[in-house]
Amino acid sequence: MKKINLLYLLGFLFFFAACEIDEQVDPNAPSINSVLTDASLTELNLLVSGTEAGVRNGFGTYVTSSGSIAREFYKFDADPRNTEDLLGKEGTPLDNNTFYLTAPYNTRYRAIKNCNILLEALDNTNSVTEGEKDAYRGFANTMKGLMLFHVLNLLNDNGIRIDVADPLNLGPFVSKDQAFSEIVSILEDGFSQVQGSSFSLPLSIGYTGFDDADAFGQFNQAITAKVLTYAGDYSGALDRLSKSFLDLNGDINAGPQHVFSTASGDIFNPLFKTPGQSGDQLVVHNSVIEDAEDGDARLAKFRLRADPTSLDGLNGTHETALYETSTSPISIIRNEELILLYAECSIQTGATQDGIDAINIIRNAHGLADYSGGTDSDSLIDEVLNQRRYSLWGEGNRMFDLRRYGRLNDQFVPIDRAGDIIHTQFPIPLTEG
Amino acid sequence: MKHLITRLGVLLCMLFFANVALAQFTVNGKVSDANGEPLIGVSILVKGTTVGTVSDLDGNYRLDVPGESATLEFSYTGFGGQSIEVSSSNTNVNMTMTEDIAKLDEVVVTGLASSIKRSNLANAVSTISSSQLTGVTTQQTVDGALYGKLTGVNIVSSNGAPGGGIAIRLRGISSLSGNNQPLIIVDGVYITNAEIPSGSRFASGANSGSEEGSSNRLADLNPADIENIEVLKGASAAAIYGTRANAGVIIITTKKGRSGATKVSLDQDVGFNTIQKFVGRRTFANAQEVAETFPNEPDAPNQWQEAVNSGKLFNYEEEIYGETGLISDTRLKVSGGNAKTQFYVSGAYRTEDGIIKNTGFDRLSTRLNINHKISDNLSISSYTNYVNSQASRSFTGNENEGGLSYGYTLAFTRDYVDLFPDEDGIYPDNPNYTGNPLFVRDRAKNEETNNRLIQGFNADWKIFQRDNQILRFNLGGGLDLLNNETFVYVPEDHQGTRGNDNGFVAVGKNKIFNYNYQAFLNYDYYSDSGISFSTSAGVSYLSFDRDFVLNRATQLNPLQTNLQQAGAQQISQRIEQEEEFGIILQEQVNWDDKIIATVGVRFDKSSLNGDPNEYNLFPRASIAANIANFDFWSVDAISQFKLRVAYGETGNSADFGSLFTSLSAVNINGTPGFLINSQQGNTGLVPETSSELEFGADLSLFDNKLGVEISYYIRSVNDLLYDRSLPSSSGFTNEIRNDLQLENRGLELGLNINPVSTPNFNWVTGVNFWFNRSEITQLGTPDGDNDPNDVPSFVPPGVAFGLGLGTFFIDEGSPITALWGRDADGNAVINGDTEPDFQLGWWNEFNIAKNFSVNFLVHWKQGGDVLNLSRLLTNIGNTTPNDLLDREGFIEDGSYFRLREVGAYYTIPLSTPFIDNIRLGVSGRNLLTLTDYSSYDPETSTKGGTGLSNSIEVTPFPSSRQAYFHLSLNF
Repeated sequence: MKKINLLYLLGFLFFFAACEIDEQVDPNAPSINSVLTDASLTELNLLVSGTEAGVRNGFGTYVTSSGSIAREFYKFDADPRNTEDLLGKEGTPLDNNTFYLTAPYNTRYRAIKNCNILLEALDNTNSVTEGEKDAYRGFANTMKGLMLFHVLNLLNDNGIRIDVADPLNLGPFVSKDQAFSEIVSILEDGFSQVQGSSFSLPLSIGYTGFDDADAFGQFNQAITAKVLTYAGDYSGALDRLSKSFLDLNGDINAGPQHVFSTASGDIFNPLFKTPGQSGDQLVVHNSVIEDAEDGDARLAKFRLRADPTSLDGLNGTHETALYETSTSPISIIRNEELILLYAECSIQTGATQDGIDAINIIRNAHGLADYSGGTDSDSLIDEVLNQRRYSLWGEGNRMFDLRRYGRLNDQFVPIDRAGDIIHTQFPIPLTEG
Repeated sequence: MKHLITRLGVLLCMLFFANVALAQFTVNGKVSDANGEPLIGVSILVKGTTVGTVSDLDGNYRLDVPGESATLEFSYTGFGGQSIEVSSSNTNVNMTMTEDIAKLDEVVVTGLASSIKRSNLANAVSTISSSQLTGVTTQQTVDGALYGKLTGVNIVSSNGAPGGGIAIRLRGISSLSGNNQPLIIVDGVYITNAEIPSGSRFASGANSGSEEGSSNRLADLNPADIENIEVLKGASAAAIYGTRANAGVIIITTKKGRSGATKVSLDQDVGFNTIQKFVGRRTFANAQEVAETFPNEPDAPNQWQEAVNSGKLFNYEEEIYGETGLISDTRLKVSGGNAKTQFYVSGAYRTEDGIIKNTGFDRLSTRLNINHKISDNLSISSYTNYVNSQASRSFTGNENEGGLSYGYTLAFTRDYVDLFPDEDGIYPDNPNYTGNPLFVRDRAKNEETNNRLIQGFNADWKIFQRDNQILRFNLGGGLDLLNNETFVYVPEDHQGTRGNDNGFVAVGKNKIFNYNYQAFLNYDYYSDSGISFSTSAGVSYLSFDRDFVLNRATQLNPLQTNLQQAGAQQISQRIEQEEEFGIILQEQVNWDDKIIATVGVRFDKSSLNGDPNEYNLFPRASIAANIANFDFWSVDAISQFKLRVAYGETGNSADFGSLFTSLSAVNINGTPGFLINSQQGNTGLVPETSSELEFGADLSLFDNKLGVEISYYIRSVNDLLYDRSLPSSSGFTNEIRNDLQLENRGLELGLNINPVSTPNFNWVTGVNFWFNRSEITQLGTPDGDNDPNDVPSFVPPGVAFGLGLGTFFIDEGSPITALWGRDADGNAVINGDTEPDFQLGWWNEFNIAKNFSVNFLVHWKQGGDVLNLSRLLTNIGNTTPNDLLDREGFIEDGSYFRLREVGAYYTIPLSTPFIDNIRLGVSGRNLLTLTDYSSYDPETSTKGGTGLSNSIEVTPFPSSRQAYFHLSLNF
């Protein structure tokens, strides 16, 4: 036998044994590391657009979860937990690992992560000037502040995590009060960064009119004013309102928006519901219709259904008509709310007439006569909350407004089914341990 | 590593020179079966040597035997082995062979290029022959054909639609994140068994691709082409397959031609699909009851009363699921060959309609298998299979507000609403839900087409042969090319899409290309002392490429299904590339069939691991003792008594993409953006490894008329890969981790009996009994050590619907198959367990008067809970049938007793020159099921076949039963 053959064969095996496998690169997406050092202008801009897109994710659930608890509407769809857990059917507690909490929570922090990546990328690149960097930083911090504010609204007394830059070493849950002050401080950082920066961020048409350093700064201050109002710092809020785009005589709808489109990779307005549709509908709580003043133009937000609808022992005659199409924009914050924040803060700081004037601006804008009720502070706050209820219906505010004034309970919120309870805040998600 | 191969080479070289020439004599004779019919192709081997031959067309053989005397060993598939002494004075030896019930002499492929007689095997390797697979009734899919026929296997059907949707689990759960499905090798080709989603979730609102109820691509294989299936269930048997084999290995061998007259057979089956069981619908005795059921709907009683008065009370369940689907299965096979070349050609066409109108499955399959001997020393084989399969699966399973899934829609649809189209063909809106199921059935589409080529090859070169030694080189491998196209169409006037998407089209173009090869040297040496050595060394390489492109369009122009005829398009693409390389060494020592010991080792590296070039080691060792072959054994009734023990390790790498932390592509109003992916990559991943200790005993009694096989295994999975939720405030929701350990233990018992064996009546029966128990032995650090970094118990993402509704839950010390919920205080508690207490399959074969045969298989699954969320939905929609209204909770006992297969055949022997015989038969599948389970079928999985998915039901495609008529013409 030829030994030579055998040696060939062994050589053949060695040949295969030498097979080297290449280091793996994701063929589907860039790695996070590719932007953390030497990010190009394009990459920074992609992170900005990604953040603007990302903050929209989960906002629909933020609105429907809090709005259901506040009995603004019911969400009638295939998921029973919208009418069971959220409405506390037979005392059901809120789950700490269910979509009504995890969807808004996870998406808020995912957007925050994107902001943190942008901030880290800015520290490690020379592709833009310091002045330009400040614009990016101001944007990132403003978005971070807004997202943290949403999380705090959900978790309230449970507190929230603020320092989340290092995923392996997350900061502690801080108290509600501390969270408010840290959020304000992040927003203020953003404000000072944006001031005087070379602002040319690739913001969408949702930011038309808010896409230069001054105007974006006014948007930042509007958010800050809202946070301070929620924190109970009314004079601080008034100060920020004065630096915001508040315009008592201006278009009440002015303000930046989340925009939606049919472009590939884009999403639809999650709060648009097809007229007349059953099975996936926001059904207006009957009390909202019943409590409305005659002639209030804001009733146009509600559409009378051809057939009343019912599910799980709940029923309603009207459905949402808040958005016209599946690509209608959603307001992030608009002048109408700023006017109402101005009213509230004025009343809270004793400037009663300023408050009443502001209330009347809103009332008149919606076809109602001037306010004619009591001018004591309690009555006026009642009226501010009433105006907020209709002006901001279905926009994710009612639950927190009620809670701020101790009204998130069965004295102020209707109970539709015996045994239902009213939740006041969301639990800390299970995954936070 | 190199040292090992070098040393082995030196060893091989040394052995070459240990041969001596001897005198020889010639033996001849005839081999026949018990009825005197000649047996063709019986292997005859001189014991302890490599000298052998096979019997010819008349059963005759002739063999030159070295030396003065020797023992000849006769072996033939399906028959018991025989041995006989011959000497130069006794050279004419006829042999009568008898059927082998315990299959002791079956050859089992245990290594990548080596095989062993079953009687010498140290593992419980189940083999399913073609007669067991397809002999009783016609099978839809290969995996569906295995139900009840193997011990240690749990088969989960996620979809009752024609074309399957089946997962095979061998010896319990072996992985959480990755594929729990065995590696499938067809004629040496590592084929894909992927479930390819169609993207219907983007219209239906289902949570993931796994909820779309896709079929798995084993459905492409024509069961009638299969000669046998070997199942290596655990690591001890499958270790030589290394890093792909954690969930076991299924080795499929297709039919080959045999030398002799060309055989032609034409088979035609005609059958019917009907639903196994209707769950029923809510009925109302009177308007008062309607009013009580829907207290907030003052109009409801009137609507119901009107429907009753006008005769428009419908049963939508029967309307949707009540079709009788016609099945036709046509197969033409031609096989034959001469001494040098054998061929097997088959063409088969199966067309099957489902129990829902406009659903069905068609499969056209052609195969050409050729074996050719280039010379006495070199033979090659080629196995070519082309498949075109098409399925219309429509919409079933979980969804969210899509109005597409029938069961989901029916759960909310009341029978007193009229959903039928009017004279103009306009379908009314469903007032109870977002879709009219009749509209969906008649107008919406969910289809797939597969074009697939599976090509295997094998070359065997006998480099060197002496009387007592043989060296072979074997090169094998092949490719699997699958082009899959999916098409989903939801018309723009579908209720659930109007005003939002305004119609939906998804066109998927998916390519899977696998190829693999292996090269082996096998050296067998028979020493004079009766000890033989079998040495293998080789390498194996595989490459898997997947490219999935999904195009979606919404805002459709009226009645258009072209992607361009739409206002909005979305594209998504996913590319996956995997490469693996392994080096294999194995040594088997056989002392005169008395003691057989095997040691082996495989070194594997994989592109899926954190370090792609780090070799992971997978060892194996086993020993089998054939006590009955020892001289002291004197119990004649027991011809085999084998004790065996085997140990082995296998691996499984993380899913593709687990290493990467990536930026996803998003878009806002036409501007692209980067958004951090919510999965945090882990570059430190190592493969999860399974180590298994198996021991057992095999007995064969009373002339092989009773065979007993009993095995017990302890199978630990270490470094289990799992998808763990991260604190989502980190911006990431999950990561893949490696610090989980699991143990499966189980018992498998097989009995094969031939109680009656006369020329006119032969009864063969068998019982398979098995159970498995699992326990999560460690999660993070051991509980109780108060390590702050210990991983708390958690709900694995994507396996169920949360603790509120019931889910799997990873908890140290608990079974991994348990269903958990919340108690009154909100704590997680076990409410059930999907693991069956035991399963039992009982099969029977009766052959009466040679021409008549009756076969049946019953399958009993005891225990195994099922979470019936279909009933949760019907409860919410007030459509739960009246007799189920008082059921508490949604976890139900999934026990069942089922007549899986039954068939009766009559063969008309003609033996004319034109036609040999005609075979007529009737058969059925799933004809009878006894169960307390209240929904369609306790075999269900709404999350498809991956990971832990099992036994959670959300409005599936109901299972069907089939009845067939058969006609076969054999020429």
